[in-house]
Amino acid sequence: MGDMKVSLQGEKTEQEAKTEKVKPAEKLNWETPKMEDVSEQVMAQPYIRFT
Amino acid sequence: MVNRIENLRAPLLVSWQITRDCDLACLHCCTDSAPGKRLADELNVSEAMRLVNEIVRNDVPYVMLCGGEPLVVPHFFRIAEALGAAGVELKIETNGQRLDVGIAERLAGLPVRSIQVSLDGDTQAVYERQRPGGSLDKAHAACRAIRAAGLPLEITFAPTCMNLHEAAAVIRRAEALGAFRFNTGKLMRIGTAARLWERLEPMAGDYRKFRDLLEEQGRILGGRMEFCYSPFALEEALRASLEEPPATLLVLPNGWVKVAAALPDICADLRRQSLDEAWEAYRGAWRNASVLSSVRRAIGSEIHHADANHWRRLAVSQV
Repeated sequence: MGDMKVSLQGEKTEQEAKTEKVKPAEKLNWETPKMEDVSEQVMAQPYIRFT
Repeated sequence: MVNRIENLRAPLLVSWQITRDCDLACLHCCTDSAPGKRLADELNVSEAMRLVNEIVRNDVPYVMLCGGEPLVVPHFFRIAEALGAAGVELKIETNGQRLDVGIAERLAGLPVRSIQVSLDGDTQAVYERQRPGGSLDKAHAACRAIRAAGLPLEITFAPTCMNLHEAAAVIRRAEALGAFRFNTGKLMRIGTAARLWERLEPMAGDYRKFRDLLEEQGRILGGRMEFCYSPFALEEALRASLEEPPATLLVLPNGWVKVAAALPDICADLRRQSLDEAWEAYRGAWRNASVLSSVRRAIGSEIHHADANHWRRLAVSQV
């Protein structure tokens, strides 16, 4: 994660922490995961069904 | 052929078992969860919140919070609300024993795609036989609270020789409770289920009847409730994974990342690595000859899934 940055503002808690999204240069052309790409099958999670 | 995961900057789904602890001791459990089974090295709250930040920073769109029973974890809402506040869509898997109106209303403020409740029987006797200590009334009450809060309800059914005769009744119940999806498949020979396999495994003929029932009910109720049972067997899922590895990170309670549910192989440790590094290791694992050989072995027979919870770290050179 070397060149990624997370900036925490002031005394905020972790939940309130503002996350700055900085992507490694070599990944700028990579596909960003999107919710519309999550198939119904993935949503139903057939890999771990029964807990 | 280049797999999709090679082009994705991050996983589409993080399936996060936030604890192995549970308030029930289900016979069919694939994660070896039960009361008192919390791992000594589970991520603590600050480590869990660090992982939340990693998920958000990497634009992971969908996270499933499961266990064990996620609602027994004191910091469950810190995790869920931090993810939700960042716009990460959520699925929550629960047995419903603790999910009351107050919890449902709190969850209703989050971007929840599904709350999955396990209904493994339609009578208390059958439900409790498979889920010792469980209350079917509480599970039904949880379903009603979920719907009353306007949340999407999904029902899962783990078929065994103990409960298959009630499958039709559970489907009717799921529809009556307002579920949008009925999720099932062949029993997985992993964890507690593997140890109790002789007591649980349905006969082949009963599985055939079950699939016929699912097809029939899918035709009848298809417009009102979705039926999800494909891939039916874990071997089918693994075969599909060889063609197209899932863009999913399976995160264990201690932060380790599993290559696949049916394999014991661990490719990363999110306590020590970033999610970015874990994703890179996962993609590498699906190119690794030894891992691919393990996958093919697991496809060959479900008996090889039985050691899936005896986790082993892949050597660095392997990932």
